[in-house]
Amino acid sequence: MSDKKITIEFNDKIVRQFLLASVIWGAVGMLVGVIIAAQLRYWQLNFDLPWLTFGRLRPLHTNAVIFAFVGNMMFAGVYYSTQRLVKARLASDFLSQLHFWGWQAIIVAAAVTLPLGFSRGKEYGELIWPINIAVTLIWVVFAVNFFWTLARRREPTLYVGIWFYIATIITVAMLYIVNHLSIPTSLLHSYPVFGGVQDALVQWWYGHNAVAFFLTTPILGIMYYFVPKAAERPVYSYRLSVIHFWSLVFVYIWAGPHHLLNTALPDWLQTLGMTFSLMLWAPSWAGMLNGLLTIRGAWDKLRTEPVLKFFAVAVTFYGMSTFEGPLLSIKSVSALGHYTDWIIGHVHSGTLGWNGFMAAGMIYWLLPRLWNKPLHSVPLANLHFWLGTVGILLYTAAMWTSGITQGVMLNATTEGGTVLAYSNFLETVTTIRPMMMMRLIGGGLYLVGWFLLIYNLWKTVAGAQAVNGTIEVFDDAGNITADEKLSLVGTFLSPPVAFSVLGVGFACAWMFGNDILSIAGLVSLMLCVVAAYAHFESRGKKWASWWDRLLVNSAPFTILVVISVAAGGLVQIIPTVLMHRAANVEDRRQVAYTPLELAGRDIFVSEGCYNCHSQMIRTLVPDVLRYGDYSRLGESIYDYPFQWGSKRTGPDLARVGSKYPNIWHYRHMENPRSVSAGSTMPNYPWLLTKATDTGALPGKISVQRMLGVPYPAWSPAEVFANVDAQAKAIADDLRAAGTSVAPDREIIALIAYLQKLGKFETVAPAKAAAR
Amino acid sequence: MTPIPPPEDQGLRHHSFDGIQEFDRRLPNWWMVLLFGSILFWVGYWAYFEWFRVGLSGSQTVAREMEHIEAARLAAAPTTDNTSLWAMSHNHVFVDAGRATYATTCGSCHGDKLQGGIGPNIVDKLWIHGGNPTDLYATLEKGVLAKGMPAWVPVIGAKKSAEVVAFILSHHTEGEPIEVQAAWTPILPK
Repeated sequence: MSDKKITIEFNDKIVRQFLLASVIWGAVGMLVGVIIAAQLRYWQLNFDLPWLTFGRLRPLHTNAVIFAFVGNMMFAGVYYSTQRLVKARLASDFLSQLHFWGWQAIIVAAAVTLPLGFSRGKEYGELIWPINIAVTLIWVVFAVNFFWTLARRREPTLYVGIWFYIATIITVAMLYIVNHLSIPTSLLHSYPVFGGVQDALVQWWYGHNAVAFFLTTPILGIMYYFVPKAAERPVYSYRLSVIHFWSLVFVYIWAGPHHLLNTALPDWLQTLGMTFSLMLWAPSWAGMLNGLLTIRGAWDKLRTEPVLKFFAVAVTFYGMSTFEGPLLSIKSVSALGHYTDWIIGHVHSGTLGWNGFMAAGMIYWLLPRLWNKPLHSVPLANLHFWLGTVGILLYTAAMWTSGITQGVMLNATTEGGTVLAYSNFLETVTTIRPMMMMRLIGGGLYLVGWFLLIYNLWKTVAGAQAVNGTIEVFDDAGNITADEKLSLVGTFLSPPVAFSVLGVGFACAWMFGNDILSIAGLVSLMLCVVAAYAHFESRGKKWASWWDRLLVNSAPFTILVVISVAAGGLVQIIPTVLMHRAANVEDRRQVAYTPLELAGRDIFVSEGCYNCHSQMIRTLVPDVLRYGDYSRLGESIYDYPFQWGSKRTGPDLARVGSKYPNIWHYRHMENPRSVSAGSTMPNYPWLLTKATDTGALPGKISVQRMLGVPYPAWSPAEVFANVDAQAKAIADDLRAAGTSVAPDREIIALIAYLQKLGKFETVAPAKAAAR
Repeated sequence: MTPIPPPEDQGLRHHSFDGIQEFDRRLPNWWMVLLFGSILFWVGYWAYFEWFRVGLSGSQTVAREMEHIEAARLAAAPTTDNTSLWAMSHNHVFVDAGRATYATTCGSCHGDKLQGGIGPNIVDKLWIHGGNPTDLYATLEKGVLAKGMPAWVPVIGAKKSAEVVAFILSHHTEGEPIEVQAAWTPILPK
């Protein structure tokens, strides 16, 4: 080894940039959150303006806090810690800057397009396709910059934080690309390539794992760096880190279908979703243990050090929400909690508690180090901590109360269980209104706390000199000898990998095989577990040495991560996507939309109606009593994107077609309270005046034909004639009911769509071929 | 929770990353129970529902439960002949209950004073679907789907439906003329 020492200057400028961006976008995202919380209490705050309605602002809120606030915070934390953990400056200043400015441009584009109603209609995946491409490219820039830095590391072995960063980069890329596969119909609009149940499965595979791999794993990596740093204590248990990491990245991917319990999703997927969610409990709590028990040796510092307070509470909320998640994944609990505010409360104890407080702790810790000046005010940071904590508690308590109250009311029956106790959905909305106020107060306190952070940051940074960290290292410190490297064979034919792959294979044979294969699979699985245990007990040192050698090899390590995160998706998505769609409709097949109805559907998606209305009657008695027969697999087969929804602020719409006359819908969209006293839905007056974009329909229909929707080969003229005839019929009906409206208005198309919901043709039940 | 072992026994690993060290403590027993317990639960749950198919699927469960409900409804249906409904319309218990249901369920279309709105006036003597108590009840039972009148009996139940009919009848008198109305033109609010 050469004894020549060199000094490296870290690229901390990029950390400062991302940190400031996170703080600013965090304020924006939270402010929008407070606004939409207020709208749920006071519908007047929608101001009758398209770009200020809840349906358009909620996607802005979720996208802003996930991708802008946590995204920028994650990049700051990853770049700061990685450089130090691998003893190397970030590989490319240019890529770093491209990453930063590209990401900010994406955020600005999102902040403009979402309120304008340009949306793909899939939660946390609303951004339109040109922005999707930009996100993918910038993510690749991030990945190249990161892995290039790893390749130039002077620290041979990878720290646990780096494992989590690797898993994040790989998995987010995989999820994002698959869920955003679309066919454009114009520069601003596209249809997803998956429809109906397939789209639902892919969406929640993505949606659930956006929580897992965007909001959890990178933050765990950040926890593994900043918590021991701030506590000045060793990490509680390395062994726990290893088990925790692999079990978390493997199991998380399988749990997506827990967002679709009791729906038309095939039962085997629901069973996988529920059981794997329960299996997530222990791996998640291992992360909490490693965080909390690392701090445990430094409890005394909690009195004086706001950073540690934030971290301790953040990790506690992580533990709480990862207990609540598996609980909500139990089918019978989901029957009560799903579609209610309980889910909103669950998400916010994760985002406000875990993400928000990890961000705050990290920022307070970084400020003095990045600007070489003590934090302006520790008391203010403490005040932020208390305002934030009280805010979260008020918020989650309000949402638990609201969600459970509404769930119980919606499910309540009377007269011997034959009749709904609260047949009018609005009764439940009215009951929870005080909780909407309490949530607003809690969220408001949290936002005020965030403004204190901004003030503190401003006073700290103003006039301070930005400094970049440096380190002295031996120039060749990262070199490892050839015999330390794992060969390809050595990587994959090692006992841990071999036993894991065999185990998963046997488990799949048991679950999905026919009788003999199934029994053979179960027997082999048990033998495999016993053999692995025996091998580990007798040759455990070999496992450990393999692991140590793997950790100096970032490429094989990354490949193993790819395999473990891909497994769950492959098993669930491939059969669902490849299945014979016509044979998997149960006993009903959706009647395809007419061109006008399709135009109306695109308006429904664009206005974000799915943010409050589901289109999925679950296989639950209260749902059937309230909304009609439960939804079948075939009834959304032509829905691109699917609109099953995830939240019922208003009632389900799966069978709303023909339930009310056209005039009811007209008046309801003009002013919901004129037909539903006490409704909190916004007014949609612009639908009455704005013309429907029928010009795009021929192009849209040809894309739908490509996707497999059985439209005839219409010429554009035939499409327009079809539209005109149906629009005129609705306009005539409205005129007969006393209202005159031009047939080319958006309201006509929307009414056509709403009246179509629930229309199906009966088909002979076919046996599911998906298994 | 596992107690902290004495410091010298914590198996501190030699390596340090940017000053961060790691203990190598064994996994807590209760945590192992949680991990392996949840895995065993998966095996058992899958076997019960998907392998042996002892457990009913969601659609099978709901179909069975709806049959029970149907049976209970048939058994508990109130008497809805003309005489009974007129009698109920003179009993404030039924009328008050019907008024409450009407206010939340019917009033938005038929008007808070039954004067009509989107749906027809039901306080005058003009009737589209018949003005006898049994006709009213039948309209609630079947709905007039083409005109946007939902079938309410399956939603609010036979008892509440009979109460609503009693409430409407309380605005009428037995034997008053029943005139036929062809259709209703909705009245829109100003």
